[in-house]
Amino acid sequence: MSLIHRLAELRESNERALLFTAIEGDEAGAKVLVLESGEQVGDGLDQAVAQFDELIRRGRNHLIRLDDGSKVFAEWYGPPPRLLVYGAVDTAEAMCRGAKLLGWHSIVADARAKFATPERIPSADELIVEWPQEALAQVRPDHQTAIVVLTHDDKFDEPALIGALETEAFYVGALGSRRNQERRRERLLEAGVEESTLERIMGPCGLDIGADTQEETALSILAEILAVRAQREGGFLKDAKKRIHAEIE
Amino acid sequence: MKEILPEIDRWTENGEKVVVATVVATRRSAPRPLGASLAISESGKMCGSVSGGCVESDVFENAREVLATGEPKLLTYGIEDDLAWSVGLPCGGEIDVFLERVE
Repeated sequence: MSLIHRLAELRESNERALLFTAIEGDEAGAKVLVLESGEQVGDGLDQAVAQFDELIRRGRNHLIRLDDGSKVFAEWYGPPPRLLVYGAVDTAEAMCRGAKLLGWHSIVADARAKFATPERIPSADELIVEWPQEALAQVRPDHQTAIVVLTHDDKFDEPALIGALETEAFYVGALGSRRNQERRRERLLEAGVEESTLERIMGPCGLDIGADTQEETALSILAEILAVRAQREGGFLKDAKKRIHAEIE
Repeated sequence: MKEILPEIDRWTENGEKVVVATVVATRRSAPRPLGASLAISESGKMCGSVSGGCVESDVFENAREVLATGEPKLLTYGIEDDLAWSVGLPCGGEIDVFLERVE
């Protein structure tokens, strides 16, 4: 089977992979495809392939400069990121609408069957009626998953956050006032969560854009998720020192 | 190349040689993101893009050469380029485009 045909198949699958192509030097044109499952098609470009774990987590294409000055282009393959919202509240619906705009896959979970209904959350790609641990076991968040906890109720929020922190999710956010965050922090510490692990929680979640309505709050949280994903601060572009686009030199 | 793989796959399955041009670096600003690509087949079919149409004609010329020789090529387009007046990027950015033949 040709590499092109293999790539065309990969594009339709849910498997993540990187296609490394040497673009300079003697090896220009050489290609190595590495799948997250460990399968590899082609040999060589070892120094670039060694960066697989880091690059696959970025979720985007990247140009790698090798020690000898040559360059390798890494093209990212995989399904869109997933957004898991725990708490089927109004903001969850607004977040799913925003996720659709981004082309992301949205999942809303809540233990309360009356809340997690298609009538209330029509925009979710998936609805799960389960307690946090069960919902997380079902979704199995990975490094391309963002988790937002929205219930405002300790009996859901706390296990949801503890469970979320046990995953590789690239973003873990929680609503709530500063006072609530502090109280929750104490309780999570008592529950045995490491202080350094707690630092992963973005709470109160969202960018400081003066969000008022559910839709505004959803946009503020989604914008923060994007900023975290691109390792940006999320301020005004006119004040930004970095380049505008995520992968521009 | 991901976005235009179905077309490239179809053309190569039909036995055509295809050149794929991919944006592999962008500086300052750029009309299309990293990884955007344009495919050109032996019979002259095209799909995708590497800019807003600013450099496609020059890429097309280079692609004919790559089709013939099979040697990949790395091109740079930008305002400092000699070709700026004819095929420069109006947005003031600079892009590197990698051309390779696939079969």
